[in-house]
Amino acid sequence: MTAALALTGISKAFDGSPALDEADFAADYGELHGLLGENGAGKSSLMNVACGLYAPDRGRVLRDGVAVAIQGPRDARRLGIGMVHQNFKLVRPFTVAENVLLANPDAGGGRNGLARAVAEVERYCGELGFALDPAARVDAISVSEQQRVEIIKVLMGGARVLILDEPTAVLTDEEADRLLAMARDLAGRGTCVILITHKLREVSRFADKVTVMRRGRTVAVGRPADLDAERLTELMVGAAVRDDGVLPAHAAGEVRLDVRALVAIRDDGAPTLNGVSIAVKAGEIYGIAGVGGNGQPELAEVLMGVRAATAGAIAIGGRDVTAAHVRSRRRAGLASVPADRYVFGLAADLSVTDNYAVGGLDNGRYGGGYWVATGRMRSATREAIGAFEIQGAVPATRARLLSGGNAQKLVLARELAGEPKVILAHSPTRGLDVRACGAVHAHLRAARDQGAAVLLISEDLDEVLALSDRIGVMNRGRIVAEFARPADRHAVGRAMVDHA
Amino acid sequence: MTSPAAAPSVEPRVRRFGRLNLEVRQSIPRWQHALYVILSIVAGIAISAAILLVAGVNLGGMYEEFILLTFFDRLGLSSVLIESSPLILVGLSAAMAFRVNYWNIGIEGQFFWGAIGATFISIYDIGPPGLRLYIMFALACAGGFGWALVPAFLKVRLNVNEVISTLLFSYIAFQVVLNQVYGPWQDPHERFPHSIKFDPVEQLPKIGWEKVHLGLFVGVALVAVMWWLVERSRFGAYARLVGSNARMALAAGVPVALIVFLSAGLSGALSGAAGFVMAAGQEFRLTATMAAGYAFSGIVIAFLARNHPLGVLVVAILIGGLYTAGQSIKGFYGVPEALVQLLQAVIVLCVAASQFFVSYRLRLARE
Repeated sequence: MTAALALTGISKAFDGSPALDEADFAADYGELHGLLGENGAGKSSLMNVACGLYAPDRGRVLRDGVAVAIQGPRDARRLGIGMVHQNFKLVRPFTVAENVLLANPDAGGGRNGLARAVAEVERYCGELGFALDPAARVDAISVSEQQRVEIIKVLMGGARVLILDEPTAVLTDEEADRLLAMARDLAGRGTCVILITHKLREVSRFADKVTVMRRGRTVAVGRPADLDAERLTELMVGAAVRDDGVLPAHAAGEVRLDVRALVAIRDDGAPTLNGVSIAVKAGEIYGIAGVGGNGQPELAEVLMGVRAATAGAIAIGGRDVTAAHVRSRRRAGLASVPADRYVFGLAADLSVTDNYAVGGLDNGRYGGGYWVATGRMRSATREAIGAFEIQGAVPATRARLLSGGNAQKLVLARELAGEPKVILAHSPTRGLDVRACGAVHAHLRAARDQGAAVLLISEDLDEVLALSDRIGVMNRGRIVAEFARPADRHAVGRAMVDHA
Repeated sequence: MTSPAAAPSVEPRVRRFGRLNLEVRQSIPRWQHALYVILSIVAGIAISAAILLVAGVNLGGMYEEFILLTFFDRLGLSSVLIESSPLILVGLSAAMAFRVNYWNIGIEGQFFWGAIGATFISIYDIGPPGLRLYIMFALACAGGFGWALVPAFLKVRLNVNEVISTLLFSYIAFQVVLNQVYGPWQDPHERFPHSIKFDPVEQLPKIGWEKVHLGLFVGVALVAVMWWLVERSRFGAYARLVGSNARMALAAGVPVALIVFLSAGLSGALSGAAGFVMAAGQEFRLTATMAAGYAFSGIVIAFLARNHPLGVLVVAILIGGLYTAGQSIKGFYGVPEALVQLLQAVIVLCVAASQFFVSYRLRLARE
């Protein structure tokens, strides 16, 4: 039988560097089809061809067995292909219903258009089991609710092929499970659902079929049941990579980061940290686990020095830095790997050199204030590129052009350069593929083994469990429980959701 | 498996207007970048020629006027260089502020305070005559610096929008100048609203080539200083980070507020220096009209030069040429001022539009 959507021999290059190389893909109605691959494997690019955002250099797109020319999202929509992108395309001050109406003008139409859109949104919510207020403004609802708006938008447009691009990246575990169950349900009712992901778990638990991509090519198609996690990983990364999680015995030293009864408020004035106390010792990784939205980003920002604490105290290496500028904190030995690489981590439009060398400007590593030794900056950057295996980069490359994993390696290279006393790592592997994850974890462990005190804040419980010597659970702006290694996963999980 | 509903099928077809594809460029070679800028200037001149043709001007003579008599004639080139001297400085001023995303619209106010500082020294004969010009220059820079610091302080401390505050500060400076030239500093001999003429020792010396004065060297020297500052000093490295991503710069330990504050002040000092060059090199007095238009000229120059000091030097001289040519066209052909400004705007817009082709590539879609 003919596939609902088939892409054959698709090639696409950007400025001569190939993103897709004769990639093939086929998915059918009634199936949840996982499209698995590392970052930069070409998953999103391939689906962007299907939904008309990219014009392929070569290859054909077949819809129900008929070759079609998709020259833009409007063509894709007419063909019943809809995509929910990673970055939502919503008008923030508009309401849910208004956004839906904007995307599907024919759904409303006429004088009572908005009322009809509201009714439609409610109908879809009922069918899909969503809780969503059609009159709520988009900037007032959570990320997972925004995602539901996107899904309704696409379905209302008549999509019979629904493409979800890394939909769970922004969700908590529980929300992710609910979303994937909904996707399964949609597939069960005859829609062709394509799930772009790099998470093995999602594919093996939810997908009917899986296509694995690597370096722009399709490397395998099969049923998840026939492919175990090891085999899938191997297909994705090319060679077996293991994140063993075995920790060498070590002795923790004196307290390097001492946080006492820290209180802070959010930008809108709501309390977010309600007396956080943590003591991280030299030579240990202290992991903070918690469900999203319990004050983790604010804790990271207060420790970094970009958000003021309203009460409490922070000391680094015995020096009080509660009110100190970031620069003083860094001089005291703080390094930070922020969650949002392109907000706090890198200046996207500057070169790798500019981004790397900022760490050494203050301490005179590149000469005095009156003459910066640009040659030395470049050679140091070149060394760091080699040492941290930052791929696709020379010193003059703009940071924007690096893939997620390589951008994070660049941040790590800079932050670990000065042998920091305290390392703050906030969601250091968010959005990274298996191989880049392993590299980040190895660097953090190596820093720990050299005597740094590492504070790891992550919403990924597996990561916290695998890396941490001690675990603190953060709930409603407090540390509510502490666990020593080896921590019981269920006990940690209970502490995360209790007290709510 | 459920049976698929019949999807609407669209036959492959060629769309006449859908065949041009727009692609974002990841990078562009330098020669290609330069080529687009040159092509855009050519396009601008072509459009200007068409406008002039419609206005009934003989184009053959125009070419001579526009290019030859402006850039390849002794008198023309010297006028261009005189015209460019303050333009270089206001261009540097705007570039410095824009580098850290500080939108200094108050260049004219800082320019005025530079001229007021220079005039103050001249009127009260402060310091030995041999050092008089240096003192005037120093006070002019200090005047612009000081005037720029108030909005800068409000910006970094209270997050007051500098676009509004610097602009309004220009009006205040203008009123101060009016007060001086109609009041205490008015020239007692001529009853015009300007101050008394500077003594010869307070005028920038000519360099011995037509009427070109040392103000040009002040501009060129400050281009070199600014190049060093933004390209080679630690301050410049920090400023680059602040301009690209201020939050990242803060998280990396850069003293962001201080960098913005100093850049704004420096921008003011450069505008003040432009006021000094205008007062001591061309007008030889304080007048109420001497700063007119320099804010927008500075912004346009900085924009076209992409905030780079060496680029500012080149663009300021070209813009100076454009102004000079405009004046002579107006004089010789009786073309109205508005038309001259239109031509200048067309050329600047064309160069600005070339950015589109630098950022994107147009390609014919394959069928």
